[in-house]
Amino acid sequence: MSVAAPDPPVREARTRRRNMPEWLKGNLLLLPTSVWFAFLLVIPTAIIVAYSLGKRGIIEPVHFSWGHLIWSNYSDALNTIYLPIFIRSVEYAAISTLLCALLGFPLAYWIARFGGRLRNVYLVLVIIPFLTSYLIRMYAWQFILQRNGLLNRVLGHIGLGSNHEFLNHSSAVIIGLTYGFLPFMILPLYASIERMDKSLVEASYDLGHGKISTFFRVILPSTSPGLVAGVLLVFIPAIGDFVTPELLGGVRTQMIGTTIADQFGGTQNWPLGASMSILLTMFILVGVFLYLWRVGEEAL
Amino acid sequence: MSEPDRVSLAFIWDTESPHFSRRTFMRTMAFAGAAGFMAACGSSGSNGASSSSSGSSTSFRLPNKTEAKVLNFYNWTDYIADDTIPNFQTETGIKVTYDNYNSNDELFAKMRTGNTGYDLIVPTDAFVVKMKHANLLQPLDLSLITNIDNLDPRFRHADYDPGNLYSIPWQWGTTGIGFDQTKVGGTVTDWDAFNLPAVNGKSSFLDEARDAFAMALFALGHDPNTLDSGQLDDAQNYLIDLKKKVKSITSDYQDPLKSGELLLAQAYSGDVFQIQTDNKNVQYVIPKSGAFSWVDNMAIPMGAPHPRNAELFMNYILEPKVGAALTNFVQYGSPNKAAEPYIDKSITGNPLIYPPADVLAKLPFQKDLGEDEIAYDDRWDKVKSA
Repeated sequence: MSVAAPDPPVREARTRRRNMPEWLKGNLLLLPTSVWFAFLLVIPTAIIVAYSLGKRGIIEPVHFSWGHLIWSNYSDALNTIYLPIFIRSVEYAAISTLLCALLGFPLAYWIARFGGRLRNVYLVLVIIPFLTSYLIRMYAWQFILQRNGLLNRVLGHIGLGSNHEFLNHSSAVIIGLTYGFLPFMILPLYASIERMDKSLVEASYDLGHGKISTFFRVILPSTSPGLVAGVLLVFIPAIGDFVTPELLGGVRTQMIGTTIADQFGGTQNWPLGASMSILLTMFILVGVFLYLWRVGEEAL
Repeated sequence: MSEPDRVSLAFIWDTESPHFSRRTFMRTMAFAGAAGFMAACGSSGSNGASSSSSGSSTSFRLPNKTEAKVLNFYNWTDYIADDTIPNFQTETGIKVTYDNYNSNDELFAKMRTGNTGYDLIVPTDAFVVKMKHANLLQPLDLSLITNIDNLDPRFRHADYDPGNLYSIPWQWGTTGIGFDQTKVGGTVTDWDAFNLPAVNGKSSFLDEARDAFAMALFALGHDPNTLDSGQLDDAQNYLIDLKKKVKSITSDYQDPLKSGELLLAQAYSGDVFQIQTDNKNVQYVIPKSGAFSWVDNMAIPMGAPHPRNAELFMNYILEPKVGAALTNFVQYGSPNKAAEPYIDKSITGNPLIYPPADVLAKLPFQKDLGEDEIAYDDRWDKVKSA
């Protein structure tokens, strides 16, 4: 008697669980991420939007009031004085993305095709720089590129002169961005090259295509999902970066990220900085949609 | 672990030189990140109260067990003599916990977030004003600071805090020019030295709106605290022109100036003297047409748990011998008049640290402009985006 008593309720609970509707199960899975996104994406974005419509101050950086939204922050952000900086940012990010693709593809291809049993070791080696803070890695580049730095000393030893100015130029910033974001290109490329059917390449050769033609007609199209993902993963953080131009760049290499950071620091104009961030985010979103629409969403 | 060991932990990141720029914020953050990473990798067995909570750059916070005999001191990196704190501890029995920061912005941002537990901070004059406006500082109980008359009168009635109601000066200096005398190809006496052909593309000025504008306003013969829009526009154009000749706008000029990457830089006096221990060719000059004086000040944040101990410490620093020992170590100017006989002759005899009266007359303090500072900030944005 006393043993049998608890039995029926348990069974009942089991049945109930089995009968839980599908839609509820699905939504329950979403719950943790939804909370996460609400707190770390939606709310902060809402705060930035509110800041972008606030009035600036020195003692209190932002005064926000519903009755008095300052839309002119947006027209200030669109002032043409920022245009050259914006164009430069797009340029640097685009060149870095291209360099990442050119450097990353051969490596990813090699690891996927010829890495053999050590593949995972090579992949870990690609990721290893991430164990060090981005900031420290950029300081390391400063050390390499400065006038009495490593690169100049090596060049001096092989008789090419040791007085080159590498730092504070566009090239230094582009090198830094390319180096910093290269793993973001390699990893998705590796994933799609690894998935590619090797017999397609053999078939292409059998059908009389040369190496170059095989690359452009077979390998590239079938690995494009990785390339598309890589391009997005490199370009988006690169265009908004402010650490790299700050540490490796000079007076003529300011990027839009630096300008935005300045609004929250030196020039103390939080509403302007916030509206610039919103505009940059919208630019990137529209760009991503156009890009995906152009290359085809299934490519991702 | 003995007390002095604990204090010296704060200097752990000074690998290259005995001194570290007061303002190399980014680098310290980088190393703090690395330290955090190493800590995360290593065993987390040590006393839990000591780390993490404060999140400051080089923070080695000690557990705060007793409430009475404790002072939580938050100061710039490498800005204190080795024996300042140990002697205070022996003298008073008050245990000092010592943390460091690297920029006024860092300090300000932290104080703004609310109760940090610190009793004593060392903001620069302009930030004393800002913090006072933001209600982040407590008025001092001057009856406990009996040594206050040891201060040079200049610091008793300074523009940023007349009467020392909120702050007691720690050290002071000037914002002038650091340069490599062997390579600039001329004599450097004034702000126009940026025009020397040899320094073209190899100079820098500070990434601080008021400091950069002060340079331009002094060079143009205007008041560095002006609010006249015509004069400010002139200064803006001056800086936009100057920007074409310099290599960078940065407050992180110490290493480049030491290595020869930069030949000339707008610089804080003490930073340049620190460079000289490694590179004798680097000189400092107070520009003829004038320069800002800056003062770092001890102050007590609102809500500090041990404000009386902080006032005791201020009084201790104002003792002639203590103030002298501090200055002999950090090599900035001391605001402590009574300390002068005990300060090394190499410092008091140096006109760059102790300028003669006629030079001193051209070294004003940065004035609190309140909301009007927007006039500077807007133009600074134009300069930086030009």
